Amino acid sequence: MINIALLKREIKGSYILWLIFAGILLMYISIIVTMFDPALGEVLKQFSVAMPQMMAMFGMSVVGATLIEFMANYLYGFLMLIFPMVFVVILANKLVAKHVDSGSMAYLLAAPNSRKKLIRTQITVLMGELVLLILFCTIVGIVASNSFFPGKLDVSAFIRLNIGVLGLHLAIAGFCFFASCISNDTKLSLGLGAGVPTFFYLILMLGNMGGKLEPLKNATIFSLFDSYQLMDNVAAGWWKVGVAAAIGILFFVIGSRIFQKRDLPL
Amino acid sequence: MDIIQIHELTKDYGDHKGIFDVSFSIKEGESFGFLGPNGAGKTTTIRHLMGFINADKGRCTIKGMDCKQEVQRIQQFLGYVPGEISLPEDMTGMEFIEFMAAYRGLKELTLAHRLIERFELNPKGKIKKMSKGMKQKVGIVTAFMHNPEVLILDEPTGGLDPLMQNRFIDLITEEKQQGKTILMSSHLFEEVERTCDRVGMIKQGELKAIDTIEQLKASQKRTYIVVFEDEAQAVAFAAEPLQIVAHEGNRVIVSVQQDMNLFIASLHRFSIKDLKAKEQTLEEVFLHYYSDIQ
Repeated sequence: MINIALLKREIKGSYILWLIFAGILLMYISIIVTMFDPALGEVLKQFSVAMPQMMAMFGMSVVGATLIEFMANYLYGFLMLIFPMVFVVILANKLVAKHVDSGSMAYLLAAPNSRKKLIRTQITVLMGELVLLILFCTIVGIVASNSFFPGKLDVSAFIRLNIGVLGLHLAIAGFCFFASCISNDTKLSLGLGAGVPTFFYLILMLGNMGGKLEPLKNATIFSLFDSYQLMDNVAAGWWKVGVAAAIGILFFVIGSRIFQKRDLPL
Repeated sequence: MDIIQIHELTKDYGDHKGIFDVSFSIKEGESFGFLGPNGAGKTTTIRHLMGFINADKGRCTIKGMDCKQEVQRIQQFLGYVPGEISLPEDMTGMEFIEFMAAYRGLKELTLAHRLIERFELNPKGKIKKMSKGMKQKVGIVTAFMHNPEVLILDEPTGGLDPLMQNRFIDLITEEKQQGKTILMSSHLFEEVERTCDRVGMIKQGELKAIDTIEQLKASQKRTYIVVFEDEAQAVAFAAEPLQIVAHEGNRVIVSVQQDMNLFIASLHRFSIKDLKAKEQTLEEVFLHYYSDIQ
């Protein structure tokens, strides 16, 4: 199915990247959780009144009264969208396009392992590290909430939120991996992999500002992650997660098919 | 039995780049030298054999297996040195060798260690800090360590110093004695002369000629630079019935093919200060040899 030697090698080559992102998210999640304070909620509400557009742009328009709502707004409106996305962009590029660009792919192909097996191994690394990152964030969120505000967090709603965000990042990972598979150089791979999701995020920011641009909010990949629907455990929220995951899988499949057939400049 | 077969292989990159209707085959135990100027299509041909790219037309097989469809089976008995060495920089040489062995499913590293010793490679250093020659040695170790039956070597001695080039030639000679089939692209006359049975010349994507190394050597011209005591002698010498390439001051450049005795007899009558043989590259030999055909 996959090549264990390559799997180990890729994990060894990327665990530091994982640790950096896990560290950043650990820091932000802990800080944001400690910031939860009904009184501070008032302050943030004042911010929202003072500069509604600024706060709205980052998806922080609704100031939550409960801890989970607070986290959904301040973590899952920006930080948990952007940081795992950047991680996925970098890792997806590293796993395929970088090997092709540098020429080290020649060694990986000059061995009795099919391209299919190679690409399956790389998908395993990307998905595995992404799942671990979100899992880590989930645990950090629960532990931090319980140590600062014991019993205040709706844990099952928080887990649903994380499954949702994982679905979204699976879609982004699939697209980035697809970009990595079709590119001869890292410039194209990174340009597509980082460019398209960032473009979507900018559109989301415009949509969040409301007014005439409000419909844009629902026109991006990010609208497949609806934190309120997931917290309320509404079926529509799960459908969107399913669609996001399906988009991701579809891109993984197309990307690896193309990679298996195409000419490689080695 | 033909181990490597290439039949009307065509890959058109546009702008007259690529390879066009290249056909040749290499027998079991034969060593084939592949020559041509940069961009002539040597590496493109090798890329097809390695299954890296798809042909527009034609096909190539190794031991009867299609190079694209059955690449996984072929790679079990194939050793490959790429034209451009690009190893993962974050590993040490030994880490890379061990990784490649594990990746291939190779458990036995005895041969790898023997090759490391043979090429006096210190594999402990980070690849990032290695010289081109050192990296080339790492590449050679990973290409030979699984004792492959078929070897595809794209400019394998690039970056190696003359001592190591000699060791490489010894290695190839031994491999040949073991009955290995070899395809090697090269620029060095000595390397090809000492290792190859036949040589193919590719130019602008077309295979121009295939010849045995003996035929090639027979047609090789030797060029000598003769320095005379004074200019008058040089002028007199230039009038001899020899193939004079150039004449400048007291120096004359002569090209000698069959008339070696005549050349020596002529030299005898003059007062010579210096006599130098000018080395000819294999490409020069080829270009000269086939200049009439083109």
